[in-house]
Amino acid sequence: MLDFEFLIDTFFVALSGVPVAILVTVVALLIAMPIGFLLAMTRINKIPVLNQIAKIYVSFVRGTPIIIQIFVLYSFLPIVINMFFEKYNIDYPVYDIHPIWYAFVIFSFNTAAVLIEVFRSALSTVDKGQLEAAHSVGLTTAQAYRRVIIPQALVSALPNLCTATVNLIKATSLGYAISLQEITLRAKVEANFGYNYLEAYIDIFIVYLILCILVEQLFKYWEKRLSRYKVASA
Amino acid sequence: MLEIKDIHKSFGNNEILKGVDLTIDKGDVVVILGPSGSGKTTLLRCINFLERADKGTAKFGELEVDLKNASKREVLEVRKKTAFVFQNYNLFNNKTALENVMEGLVIARKVPKDEAREIAKKALDKVGLSEKYDSYPSQLSGGQQQRVGIARAVALNPDIILFDEPTSALDPELVGEVLNTMKEIANEGTTMLVVTHEMGFARDVANKVIFMDGGVIVEEGSPHDIFVTPKEERTKRFLRRVLPGSFDYEI
Ligand SMILES: Nc1ncnc2c1ncn2[C@@H]1O[C@H](COP(=O)(O)OP(=O)(O)OP(=O)(O)O)[C@@H](O)[C@H]1O
Ligand SMILES: [Mg+2]
Repeated sequence: MLDFEFLIDTFFVALSGVPVAILVTVVALLIAMPIGFLLAMTRINKIPVLNQIAKIYVSFVRGTPIIIQIFVLYSFLPIVINMFFEKYNIDYPVYDIHPIWYAFVIFSFNTAAVLIEVFRSALSTVDKGQLEAAHSVGLTTAQAYRRVIIPQALVSALPNLCTATVNLIKATSLGYAISLQEITLRAKVEANFGYNYLEAYIDIFIVYLILCILVEQLFKYWEKRLSRYKVASA
Repeated sequence: MLEIKDIHKSFGNNEILKGVDLTIDKGDVVVILGPSGSGKTTLLRCINFLERADKGTAKFGELEVDLKNASKREVLEVRKKTAFVFQNYNLFNNKTALENVMEGLVIARKVPKDEAREIAKKALDKVGLSEKYDSYPSQLSGGQQQRVGIARAVALNPDIILFDEPTSALDPELVGEVLNTMKEIANEGTTMLVVTHEMGFARDVANKVIFMDGGVIVEEGSPHDIFVTPKEERTKRFLRRVLPGSFDYEI
């Protein structure tokens, strides 16, 4: 039978990993959004070279499991950083770098690729007449994007952005592979003592479930606010 | 006031504008007629750089620009002197009627917000939409949306307003309200260049009518010249097609 005391204690242990999971998610999103947006623009405007790079990048990320991306980057990054440190005579032991920094890089790398496609399809839902109208009243292209196009694209991007965010939160559970003290790792370490894995997994399950439901509600609320202008047609 | 010389524009190997000259004086209402594909929209779009011409110059009063090589700054200057009314309105979907009209004033022309709001309200009052300041485009009928589009153009107080088939996307019963609005602003002395298939508007409101075909101006003159005493065979043929039975119409 389940060890309820352990179940409850470990629930709070798992819960204590939430800030790390959220931190990684938020940082990854903050880094990935501008990169994803800029690369989406290079895709839409078919900017030579960058467009091709973005395309390869997206298929690379899409075509490989995240866990493999994590292993590859986690083995590869220290080598690069080491070379960099040696070149500039920085005296810092590479293997002391906190895993959260790797998590930031790895999950930004992965999420940016996802967001390229999210933003690309969202921007394509905005009629090009909107940009032309903005130009015709004297706005620059940057102003038109900021004030007219992005606000509209964001509304159609939100459902996919929500999915990407939820996937990202769930993916942070793979942080255990790089010893990141997030939800999964913390609960599993608890379980190691008395082999209460089932309880630990139930706790992990519940914590992610709550987290993801909260995020979905947040996005729903946000979408409702932003799409006020889409009131039922007259 | 607006003088355009020798506009050329091709899409691929397809030459759409083959050297168009155009002179418009202050207060003129110039209507461009012509069959589909004759380059009317392209001409309008080249004038305010929604499309880059391959050749040609435009002179807006003191400001003379090369339509092919104009710099970004010149493009913005020209756009401050012009406004565009689109066939499918192109109102900013995420903004209310009032915000639509204010946008160009506040952001491009740096008019203080309160002042811009007053100007925008006046423009919307003028087109009969005093009740709709806070409506989003999705809450307005096509005719109302196009009148917001006209208010957006009028509020900018440009040297000239370019209209590209402003009533073509409208249900027939909504055409009248938009044409009336256009007539009113024409009567106030607004300079207008209008592409339309509304022959009645051309006859009654224009002081100059241009007939375009195949990327050139075939014939131009007063409404009387064009509708009653056209000289070119192509003009006559076009008018017979669009004005069946009323070809002998007298003004
Ligand atoms: N962006 C573009 N790329 C390629 N061809 C174009 C483009 N825009 C217009 N054309 C072509 O140029 C020609 C003239 O188009 P334009 O829209 O200027 O004609 P129009 O006189 O306005 O016709 P209509 O009465 O149908 O609006 C058409 O054959 C059209 O297919
Ligand atoms: Mg046209």
